[in-house]
Amino acid sequence: MQPHLKKAFTLLALAIIAFIFVRSLVVPSSFGQYGWYRGDSVGDIKGFPVEYAGSASCSDENCHKLIYSVWFADRHKTVNCETCHGPSEKHVNNIREMPEPANDSRDYCGICHYKRAARPNTFPQIDPVVHGEDLKCTYCHNPHKPWFI
Amino acid sequence: MEVTRREFTKIGCRVIIGAAAGSAVIESVVMKGKAAENIPAGEYNWNEHFWGYVVDTRICIGCGRCANACKHENHVPFDEPVYRTWVERYRTKQDGEVVIDSPNGSIDGFSDDIPPEEIKKAFYVPKICNHCENPPCVQVCPVGATYATEDGVVLVDYKYCIGCRYCIQGCPYGARYFNTEKGTADKCTWCYHRITKGLLPACVQACPTGARKFGDLKDPDSIVNKILDEERINVLKPDLGTKPKVYYVGLDREVR
Repeated sequence: MQPHLKKAFTLLALAIIAFIFVRSLVVPSSFGQYGWYRGDSVGDIKGFPVEYAGSASCSDENCHKLIYSVWFADRHKTVNCETCHGPSEKHVNNIREMPEPANDSRDYCGICHYKRAARPNTFPQIDPVVHGEDLKCTYCHNPHKPWFI
Repeated sequence: MEVTRREFTKIGCRVIIGAAAGSAVIESVVMKGKAAENIPAGEYNWNEHFWGYVVDTRICIGCGRCANACKHENHVPFDEPVYRTWVERYRTKQDGEVVIDSPNGSIDGFSDDIPPEEIKKAFYVPKICNHCENPPCVQVCPVGATYATEDGVVLVDYKYCIGCRYCIQGCPYGARYFNTEKGTADKCTWCYHRITKGLLPACVQACPTGARKFGDLKDPDSIVNKILDEERINVLKPDLGTKPKVYYVGLDREVR
């Protein structure tokens, strides 16, 4: 082989080796494990902390069993505990970590129950101007058992 | 061996092209084999699931508890107008004008700023990432920082994302946003950290009327498959060919 060819092929080989070396440093080892992305990132996202524990975790014998059974027997059972009481996973794991107190203002109940044109007619709604004066809703309605007055 | 300059150039080009094509072919074959075999560690097997989502716009009351729960669960900044899920309100006036709004993504609820007697038709439409089977946001990512998992969820790799925002422009549903705290693009994950532990996404759990349903499309008894079998469903912008996996019941023609 002629010397200038030798030189050219050596350069090419060196360039390829350098590329492979730099690539192995820069590209994470899990890249391409499942597809054209970093496979470890699936695990990263799976490991994010849960904030909402779900209503069932409140029902434990030693915890809020009574109020849970009252709530579960009435029409607000479709409203998750944490919708009013706030995210409670930390409280479930450590009872000293208290969630925010539930918002019992008229406007908070009104987020669902004020009369609005776009709501389905079958959903129970009130006109805040004429219904219940300016009393808190909880003055008459038990939020865990809303039809009990 | 006598080689002219022209021949040398020809041989050189062939070698370079051959090396590039060969390695690409080998890599693609190897990666395909790997993707079929491997599953991420842990009990959850993503080959057994293919997630789907149903929104029933007929029973949504626009309370915005979904958007609120989403921000808490996923630590989305509350003081910025960015949302992983939100509720839109569509109101058609008597004169035919359509007013569409979503004040603070519905987190503070809605107030009637148009007198009800002026309104002919009104309804709420919850919106969320559609986790398309053919996702445009994944195609445009230049670094492979966003991808669709084997169980059909489109995720963002927050360590790999360079924050170029192409995906935000590429999404035809406006479901992506820029997270200024992370400095990356961000989006709904269908609460991937919850569903892989057997929990429901936070928005589905928070919905008081059951307007949002989540389930496994591979499980014939799942709530989502039952609704798909019984109801007349549609998806958003079907003409784009993105194959969304968020199915809508009672979708109006005004909804885009």
